[in-house]
Amino acid sequence: MSRPGPERTATGLAGLDCDPGETLLSVRDLRTYYESGDLIGGQPVKAVDGVSFDVKKGETLGIVGESGCGKTTLGRTLVRLEAATGGEVRVGDDDVTQLSGEDLQAWRRNAQVVFQDPESSLNDRMTVGEIVREPLDVHDWGTPAERRARVRSLLEKVGLQEEHYYRYPHQFSGGQRQRVGIARALALEPEFVVLDEPVSALDVSVQAQILNLLMDLQEELGLTYLFIAHDLSVVEHICDRVAVMYLGNVMELGPTEELFEDPANPYTRALLSAVPEPDPTAEIDRMTLRGTPPSPRDPPQGCPFSTRCPVKIRPEGFEDVDDETWEAIEVFRETLRARSRAERSLSEQAREFLGFETRFATVDEVVEELFADRELPGSIREPVDRATDLARDGDEAPALDHLREELGSVCDHEPPAAHGVDATARESRCHRHDDEYEEPAAVGPSVGDAE
Amino acid sequence: MSVVDDEDATLRERLADEPVPALRVLAVVAVLVAVEFGALANLVMSLPWDAVGAALPGFLQGAAATIAGVGDGLAGLPTLLSRSVIDNAGYQLPSGEWVGTFMGLSPAAAWLLRVALIYAYGFVWLLVGWWSYLVYRDNYRHADWAPVDDMVGRFRNHSWGLFGLAIIFAFVVLAVFAPALGPTTVDANIADPYLHSIEYYSEETGGVEEIYVGDANGESQSRGQGGENVGPMQYDQYDRFHPFGTLPSGKDLFTFMAAGARVSLFIGVASLVLAGGAAVVFALATAYYKGLVDLGIVIASDSIQALPQLLVIMLASFVLSGTWLANLYNGGVVLALLFGLTGWPGLWRAVRGPALQVSEREWIDAAKSFGQRPSVTMRKHMLPYVVGYLLIYASLTLGGVIIGVAGLSFLGLGINAPTPEWGRAVSAGQPYVATPSWHISLLPGILIVIVVTGFNALGDGIRDAIDPQSDVETGQQDQTAAAGGGA
Ligand code: SF4
Repeated sequence: MSRPGPERTATGLAGLDCDPGETLLSVRDLRTYYESGDLIGGQPVKAVDGVSFDVKKGETLGIVGESGCGKTTLGRTLVRLEAATGGEVRVGDDDVTQLSGEDLQAWRRNAQVVFQDPESSLNDRMTVGEIVREPLDVHDWGTPAERRARVRSLLEKVGLQEEHYYRYPHQFSGGQRQRVGIARALALEPEFVVLDEPVSALDVSVQAQILNLLMDLQEELGLTYLFIAHDLSVVEHICDRVAVMYLGNVMELGPTEELFEDPANPYTRALLSAVPEPDPTAEIDRMTLRGTPPSPRDPPQGCPFSTRCPVKIRPEGFEDVDDETWEAIEVFRETLRARSRAERSLSEQAREFLGFETRFATVDEVVEELFADRELPGSIREPVDRATDLARDGDEAPALDHLREELGSVCDHEPPAAHGVDATARESRCHRHDDEYEEPAAVGPSVGDAE
Repeated sequence: MSVVDDEDATLRERLADEPVPALRVLAVVAVLVAVEFGALANLVMSLPWDAVGAALPGFLQGAAATIAGVGDGLAGLPTLLSRSVIDNAGYQLPSGEWVGTFMGLSPAAAWLLRVALIYAYGFVWLLVGWWSYLVYRDNYRHADWAPVDDMVGRFRNHSWGLFGLAIIFAFVVLAVFAPALGPTTVDANIADPYLHSIEYYSEETGGVEEIYVGDANGESQSRGQGGENVGPMQYDQYDRFHPFGTLPSGKDLFTFMAAGARVSLFIGVASLVLAGGAAVVFALATAYYKGLVDLGIVIASDSIQALPQLLVIMLASFVLSGTWLANLYNGGVVLALLFGLTGWPGLWRAVRGPALQVSEREWIDAAKSFGQRPSVTMRKHMLPYVVGYLLIYASLTLGGVIIGVAGLSFLGLGINAPTPEWGRAVSAGQPYVATPSWHISLLPGILIVIVVTGFNALGDGIRDAIDPQSDVETGQQDQTAAAGGGA
């Protein structure tokens, strides 16, 4: 490899040298699965399950979602810390997921990460200078003296002092340590930086300083950011565009302002409604959706959000069933799902088999509680009874299949396609954007800044 | 850092810039080496170079022999703290006057003086080591503070660890200066007693007579009953002083012990270098790559650990006893190899946990993300966190190896007779434990206990020193964080 000097111009990958505003990265149907820990069988964890989006040069693209939605894995896949299972990440004519050798080194030089936890991302046994210098050493950048000079100027650029060169990370506060992490990420003049929740581990008072620093640096150096966060207010503050992830899928993607003002997707709407407005530190944990996200090992067959969606489409012929009864059916399905996921110890299985009581309520108890004082029309009663029979044997999967066949709607059967939802190239994945159904906004409570 | 303005200067430039403190250290070191050069060369030459030489191809063996000759020559150079300068061998005339000893002192006094001087010399080395650390820290290191400072500070305040260090220091000095510390030499007293002779004053003839050491030994045996006993701190009838008494064969126990310390230390250190090196390499590889590599080494180490270590070593040393390998260093090399080969799984298990833990830290991901090579990542970002744990377990294991070697020698396996080994002294004295010759078994036994305890104490001290948990509340971090300035 040639020795890139301080005045390096070429990035080494043709696609990286595009003009601001042009597409830098185009992610297509990217999938990252983790093999399950079990030696035999077991479903892989589908952390990222087919996402597509573009990243434009010079912009900040936010990725938001609850913890476990795959946003961090997505970021790590883009910088090749995880191997993609399928799909591609195009940079010009190159596919990042397939790069090797010199091209991979070129990508590594141009794609950097700022990690979430500054306590864990800096090696305590190295001085700050050594830490920031290491990427320069790896890529044989300039002469040793030039490298030291560059480290000093980087330290100054991120708001530290030159004499911090010979200090150890122990001697710094969390905010300062994160500045060191930023300096390290910028050492090689990267084009693309993944910011993996860079401020969520910091004191609230320091968060704004770090965010402002990141924005200043972006402006000065023309950086492209992928900003991963679960804090919506931070995203609204810093991002040009936002992708909302749920269960390894991008549910909605669009310009920040429009998306926050008038969220189109039911999941985005649920996410935003959970944020009490005046409190900037609110986390999504306060969201009050029914149940928990399904396991990424076994995602729903239709829409990823279908198990919890408050505005899920009813199947044909059931539009007139009253809301509470329909809700009871959804709860019944959710309960069966939860049971099928719960780990059962061998002794519990044995107790169940012998008809003893276990910590799981029997299916009949559940049915009793949900449906006892309800008049169920025959078209519902029948599938519920059949599912109860099936589940009584301790195997919920056939029961769930049956319920889906009989009482499932398009949301349960088909993954929704991306629909353009306004003039700004915003996309949302929801069947309700089809003409034949009502828009989410029309059926749910009103959400967003516009109200 | 205070004196050098140019922060970019390399260590070399900083040394050139301000050479005085470094030169002072160097001068002291030079003096220390000069007065004992022969002894140091002797130590080097006492290692089992035959093993190395035998493994070399033919034409190199000639060269090796030349080097060995030079080495032996150097080993023969006069040294300050040697037997020939401060001699404790001599005889007493009826008038009470001592002939042949250093300045006419009694052999006991001469011997004690030499021992005291040698330990003082060793202690000066210890001080010089500490001093050069301070000189480096204060004059040549850029960083005002480094994590290692805290560790050193914690160890300095750890009295149990310091106690261990003192014991190990005493043991190492005993091993290194074994030839000079004994009241007589292995050669003259133990290995070839009929090739050496001593002079003594005979009351029968009324004059100075000469006698073979072997014959003299025959008259100074410790066999419990019948007045045949030379106990600790006693003279035998040929005016020879025995600090620890004599063996049943009449040989000097202290000389035997000092030489045995050398053998024990060699086997312990060599086997641990072997086992520890393997353990660290495997631990880093398994923690970095995980998966199949980990599984393979787990299976290998489990298979080894499923075997009873001492039984395997006994069997193997018996099987190998007839081969050339068994003769290297009187069987020491075989023992070191066997203890190393069977010992790494234990050490590996001990450091695998810390290695896995550090492999989960995000700085490993950071290194991967900018394309650092795996070998460098392991060395720079993982090894420093693992090596402390290795030291802890190595010092605990070293005690075990010493006991193991002593046990094997006790059983008549292990080190070939007549090469001194502590276990054989215990074994030789066993029939006399309940007699006036109790010292033969008891003193080596006590020494083994003390040395093993010392290694354990040292291990405890290191653990508390590197474990940041033990000073979470000292405020050191807050103080230094404040010194860094506000974010
Ligand atoms: S497709 Fe159906 S389940 Fe999914 S978000 Fe839209 S309405 Fe809800």
